[in-house]
Amino acid sequence: MKTKQCSAEVFASFGQAAEINCSSKPEFQRSRQLICSSFLVQKSPGIEMPKFQNSSKPGSGPHYVWEYEYYDDDEPVSFDNLTAHRYSVVIGFWVGLALFVIFMFFVLTLLTKTGPPHQENQDAFDRHCRPSSCMVDFRHPQASDNKACSQPLLDESHSLIHCFIHEEETGRTGEGQGQWREAKQCACSGLQQAQAKCKVERDTSFPTHCNIPNFVNSEYSSALGDDDLLLCDQPVPLDSNSLSSNNYHRTM
Amino acid sequence: KMSKTETPNFFYANETDCREVQIPNEIFFTIAMVSLGENLLVVVAVIRNKNLHSPMYCFICSLALFNTISSLSKTWENIMLVFTNTGHLNSRGDSVLKVDDVMDSLLCMSFIGSIFSFLAIAVDRYVTIFHALRYHNIMTMKRAKAILSAIWAFCGCTGVVMVVFFHNVAIMMCFIILFVFALVLILFLYVHMFLLARHHARKIASLPGSTKHHNLRGALTLTILFGVFIACWSPFFLHLLIIMVCPQNPYCECYRSLFQIHVILLMSHAVIDPAIYAFRSAELRSTFRKMFLYTWAQCVCV
Repeated sequence: MKTKQCSAEVFASFGQAAEINCSSKPEFQRSRQLICSSFLVQKSPGIEMPKFQNSSKPGSGPHYVWEYEYYDDDEPVSFDNLTAHRYSVVIGFWVGLALFVIFMFFVLTLLTKTGPPHQENQDAFDRHCRPSSCMVDFRHPQASDNKACSQPLLDESHSLIHCFIHEEETGRTGEGQGQWREAKQCACSGLQQAQAKCKVERDTSFPTHCNIPNFVNSEYSSALGDDDLLLCDQPVPLDSNSLSSNNYHRTM
Repeated sequence: KMSKTETPNFFYANETDCREVQIPNEIFFTIAMVSLGENLLVVVAVIRNKNLHSPMYCFICSLALFNTISSLSKTWENIMLVFTNTGHLNSRGDSVLKVDDVMDSLLCMSFIGSIFSFLAIAVDRYVTIFHALRYHNIMTMKRAKAILSAIWAFCGCTGVVMVVFFHNVAIMMCFIILFVFALVLILFLYVHMFLLARHHARKIASLPGSTKHHNLRGALTLTILFGVFIACWSPFFLHLLIIMVCPQNPYCECYRSLFQIHVILLMSHAVIDPAIYAFRSAELRSTFRKMFLYTWAQCVCV
C-alpha cells in the first residue's frame, strides 16, 4: 500500500537538468492541502528524490513529460498483517461517538427526573413568606378575578416593590429568577383562595410574557407547545430599575 | 527514458487496500447550494427586520455568514473541479493553485468562524440565563459589534496563516486544541444552563396544584444540538490528527480514505445550523413568511 501520492510533473526543456520535488508542482484536487501535505512526505522514510538529466540533444527533440508517483520503497504501510478489520478505527470512532451522545442524553434525562428541591432554596422560600401579603398577579391587574386580592395589594405594593428591588440588589438567589420569585410570593400567600388563583393566573400568563430575556422555558410553556430550550425571542429591554417600575405600573 | 504515460493513482492495487471513497460532484453541489440558500436567507432576514438587530441575532447572523462563505468556497471549488475534469483547466497551473489556496484559506476562516460563533451564541445565552436582569447592560450592541469584529479579524488572519503554514505541526495542533477547547466550553455552558432550567422546573413542580410533567424536550434539544455539532465536526478533526500522528498506519489510512465523506458531514452541518439556531426563533420565522409572501405577491403581480 502506498503512502499518499504526490505527483510531480516536470517539463523537461532542452539541456536542462531538473529536480523533482513533491511540493513543487502539486495538483489541484479537492482540498488538496489536507490530503497531500509535504509534511507527510518528509516524515516518510526511504523516499528518494529522483534526479534525472535530460539527455536530449540541444536544439531538437520534443518536450519530455515525466510523471512520478512517490512511493515508499520499503512499503511500511502493509495491509497483509492486519489483525483486526481494516475499518476498525472508523467503526470504533463512530461507535464511541454514538455511545457518548446516548450517555449524555441519559444523564440529562436522569437529571430531569430525579432529586428533590434543594434545601437552601427551601429556606429562601420560607424567607419570602409573609402571611398577610398577597402578590397575586402582576400582569393582569385589571382582571376581575384579581379583585379579591388587589385591595390588600394596593396597600402593600409599595413595600413589596421595595422588597423586589432589595432582592435584585442582593441577588442572592441568582438574577434569572425574577419570575420565580413571584411564584414563591404567590405560593406563600396566606389566602388559600388567592393562592390557588395565583397559581392559575401565573400558569396561564407565564408563557405569554418574556420580560426577562429568558429562553429556557419551564415545563408549562413546553406543555403549551412553545419552543423549548432554544427559543430566542427578542427580550424586552429592561434593566433592574425599569423592571421594578414595570411591575409597579402593573399593580396600579 | 521516453515519456511515461500517466500512472494510476493507486499503483499497488491490492484487494485489501482502502481506496479513497469518492463522492460525486453533484452531491457536493446540492449540499453547497442548499446551505447557501438557507444561510443567505437568514442573513437577509436579520438585516431587513429591525426587531432582529439585537446581540443575540447578530451572533446568529454571523454564524450564517460564515456558513455562507464556506458554502460559496465549496461551490467555487466544485466548479473548478468540474472544469478540471473536463479538461478546460490545467490542474497544475500556477493560477489554479493560487486560487485553490485562496479557497482553502476562506474555508479555514469559515470553519474557525463557525466555531467562534457557536461559542459566542452559547455565551450570550449563558449571560441571558444567569445575569438576566443585567443582560442589556452586559451585552450591549456596541460590545456585540466589537466581539464580532474581533472574531472576524482573528478568523481572517488565522485562515491565511493556516493555509500558508499548513506543513507546520504546531499550527495543526493549535487548530485541534482550539476545537476541543470550544467543544468543552460549549458543553459546560449548555449543561449549566440546562441544570438551572431543571432546577426551576422542579421548583414549579413542587408548588401546590402543579401537574407533574417529565420534560424531556430540554434534554432532547440539548442532545441534538451537541450531538450534531460533534458528529459533523469531529470526524474532520480526527482526520487532521491522524495525518500528524499515524500517517503510515494502515488503519489510519483506511480512516483517511473516507475524507470526502467527512467533508460532506462538515458541509451538512452548515445546512442543519439554521434549523437548530435561527429557525427556532418565532420572530425570524415570521420574517421569512413575510419575505416569501412579499416575493410571491411581487411575482404574481408582475
